[in-house]
Amino acid sequence: MKLQAQQGLMTTYRSPWRNRGPVGIAISVALITFYCVLYFGGTTLTIPYGPSISWPDPLTPIAQALGLRHKWFVYGLLYSFGMIAGGTWYLRQHGNSRYHQLRIATNIAVQVVLAFCLPYALAFVGQPEYYFSYFWPLSYSNLFPETLQGLPPYLAAYSLVGAFVIAPAASVLFGKRWYCSWVCGCGALANTFGDPWRHLTFKDSRSWRFEKVAIHTILVTCLVMTIAVTVGQLLHFKAEWPYQLGGFLKGWYGFVVGAVLSGVVGTGLYPVLGPRVWCRNFCPMAALLGLTQKIGRFRIRVKPDMCISCGNCTTYCEMGIDVRSYAQSNTSFTRSSCVGCGMCAHVCPRGVLRLENAAPVASDKRRQGIDAVDF
Amino acid sequence: MHVVIVGNGVAGTEAATLLRSRDRDCRITVVSEESDHFFSRTALMYVVSGQMSYRDIEPLERDVCARLGFERVRARVTGLDPERKLLTLASGEPLAYDRLLIACGSEPRRPPWPSYASLRGVGHLVTMQDLEWLEEEVHGRTAVDAPPRPRVHETDLPSPYKRRKAAAASSGKRSTRPVIVGGGLIGIESVEVMLAAGLRPTFVVREEWFWPIALDAAEGTWIAEELRHHGVDVKLGANVRDLVGKDGLVSGVDTDQGPIEADLVVVAIGVVPNTGWLGDAVRRDAAGGILVDEHLRTSAPDVWAAGDCASVRWFDGRVRPEQLWYTSRDQGRVAGRQLAGETDAAYVRGTWYNSAKLMDIEYTTAGLVNMKVPGEQSWYYEEKGTVRSTTRIVHTEGRVVGFNFLGRRWDHSVCTRWIQERRSLPWVLDHLDEAAFDTEFVPPLRIPADLRRQA
Ligand SMILES: Cc1cc2nc3c(=O)[nH]c(=O)nc-3n(C[C@H](O)[C@H](O)[C@H](O)COP(=O)(O)OP(=O)(O)OC[C@H]3O[C@@H](n4cnc5c(N)ncnc54)[C@H](O)[C@@H]3O)c2cc1C
Ligand code: SF4
Repeated sequence: MKLQAQQGLMTTYRSPWRNRGPVGIAISVALITFYCVLYFGGTTLTIPYGPSISWPDPLTPIAQALGLRHKWFVYGLLYSFGMIAGGTWYLRQHGNSRYHQLRIATNIAVQVVLAFCLPYALAFVGQPEYYFSYFWPLSYSNLFPETLQGLPPYLAAYSLVGAFVIAPAASVLFGKRWYCSWVCGCGALANTFGDPWRHLTFKDSRSWRFEKVAIHTILVTCLVMTIAVTVGQLLHFKAEWPYQLGGFLKGWYGFVVGAVLSGVVGTGLYPVLGPRVWCRNFCPMAALLGLTQKIGRFRIRVKPDMCISCGNCTTYCEMGIDVRSYAQSNTSFTRSSCVGCGMCAHVCPRGVLRLENAAPVASDKRRQGIDAVDF
Repeated sequence: MHVVIVGNGVAGTEAATLLRSRDRDCRITVVSEESDHFFSRTALMYVVSGQMSYRDIEPLERDVCARLGFERVRARVTGLDPERKLLTLASGEPLAYDRLLIACGSEPRRPPWPSYASLRGVGHLVTMQDLEWLEEEVHGRTAVDAPPRPRVHETDLPSPYKRRKAAAASSGKRSTRPVIVGGGLIGIESVEVMLAAGLRPTFVVREEWFWPIALDAAEGTWIAEELRHHGVDVKLGANVRDLVGKDGLVSGVDTDQGPIEADLVVVAIGVVPNTGWLGDAVRRDAAGGILVDEHLRTSAPDVWAAGDCASVRWFDGRVRPEQLWYTSRDQGRVAGRQLAGETDAAYVRGTWYNSAKLMDIEYTTAGLVNMKVPGEQSWYYEEKGTVRSTTRIVHTEGRVVGFNFLGRRWDHSVCTRWIQERRSLPWVLDHLDEAAFDTEFVPPLRIPADLRRQA
């Protein structure tokens, strides 16, 4: 087997369904419709000053027919199939890389075992349905007092330790990729089912500015919401304003972030905006781990004076990072948004880039040439 | 002060940005016949194949000229009068300068075949216009975001930036039988483009094995094997005598190994300085390269040259153009400092290195390889496991002078440092893993103990 090559990418823009054409848009519309049905099925959604839409709920009967407890297990099943199909595609395209082989295998194993089979099986041993691969703040309700109180102590402890110790410590050591590219289900779907569209992510500096504002706004909102809900629930202010504020924030956050941004927009627009729209712009977990990544050991190392500015790395960066601007100015770097998927290093035809966990060296800091000119 | 830069390739663009970082006020005009925006010539193959879009191969955002205050002129320059400090544009308009940088790059080397100029379906892969032509021949259309056709003043003068008429446009058929002539990097890139389009090209290589200036027989044979494995018809040791045509379209290639059927011929036999338009205005060498000193000054006052068009002194002392991306970029930076008045800025070329990807095989080189250094010996190891790779280390008089690697990634900067430190072969073999640059989880190179002892 030959490792480290770039075969499989050559015809990207020539596949009609991969370049924001009518086929891509049709796929996008189908996905958005699916997510609306999933999230809003069985409810009537009233758009302020607009129409009310009653969404059908075909998934619940399917769940009953399959003997699954609720529609989210049907979604979990579809999710797993989507990932296995996408993972097969991914490994056919980029499977000549050890990093990709191990990463995609881990993604699929985590999804099938931790995010589907185990939650399903826990009920048979009298345990609550628990998802070991999701942490606060991505699972924003994980730390609410009422959630923690409803769990056996070992699971409540896992929720707390996972969010405050394991996740940040691992991203200091390995970068946020340990989660965003190896464990997280959202990232895993983007990297398998969403991979055919990774080159469509916007790379311009406007999209970078939007990203920085959007993702940190959501992180702060999530923090405020969690604190408000916690205070409200702990102090039993039932009828008082802190409790009401918490409930209000929780409701809106769940609708806007939990349903619309992560599902409808985040996945529905894969074929238009690229697969990591949610991870890049809206995910509070990605924002938090990104901050810890900045102070940690992960970086992309640049081999000096070898880059030919071809731009493969930037084109195939699903997070919209202009990797080329660092490579052509000889700058090893750590960007908080980088999920460490490894594609830039994989596609580089001159072997300029390498993902690594290592202490920074002084020479990394020199930035020269076109990109050093800052006006 | 008015600085004019002819060429918006990497040398011209680096010079302009560097000059602007030193001097916020001077007037900078960048003239380019080829394209509105700076793009990566090294990435042309990826656009033809579909791996990247036209926009993807532009390293800078499109507002960069506006932001940095560069005036852009899209025109062909046809002459230089160094005495009056005047350029002439193809429209006849003059363009005056106080300081001038010539960074006009290369053009494809034209073959001596009698029917080369008269047939459609014959071209190169060097310029943006070549790219548009080749896309039409191979795919029948240009890519989704092709830039609007150049608004260039048309002249009868020969120019590498003129769009060829495609054979596909006359015959109504896309190419099915492409032939690539020339066994170098652009040749193999053209082959890859054809493979990506689902075609099985014929690859005509004059030499006995692929790329003998860089690879030895065993290494070149591996590459040819890889090409054949992908369905390429590799013809080694074959010389092209002429092309064959029918109704003005190319229909075959006549070689000393017999005729080859063809409906598309990509000629990739090297590039030459694109300096014909200069006449005697500045001194040039026999190959056309503009002669410059280590400050990149030409023979004319206030005129510098940088990039592919300039003949500079190499590590071996000879003077010739260095047709490489990063040397053009470095020269552009030196030229930018010169234009800003830093008269001591000099271009010094260190130890040679390069890298490439030949099909899916990584290639890295450093130092003196295939240079016939007196007393040289090669230490060679071929790895055939999970990773297939070759390692060749050239040494003489107890010290290592060159490295050639295929199949794995290496940090050339570590290798060039070892060469400068005059390290011995056993020392280098003991430290080789420090130069490894493979991606994570790739099993490291293990050299068998007996081979290590032989060193
Ligand atoms: C297919 C291909 C692959 C390559 N791959 C590699 C690689 O892998 N590694 C590597 O190191 N190098 C590679 N190179 C070489 C590298 O691209 C060149 O060395 C580099 O682009 C030279 O830059 P430059 O700025 O000197 O000139 P150019 O990029 O050639 O720019 C010259 C500019 O001058 C302008 N110009 C020229 N004449 C006139 C005129 N008369 N009037 C007005 N404007 C004019 C043109 O508009 C043109 O844009 C490759 C080249 C090709 C063609
Ligand atoms: S780092 Fe590699 S892929 Fe990125 S621009 Fe440079 S040569 Fe191209």
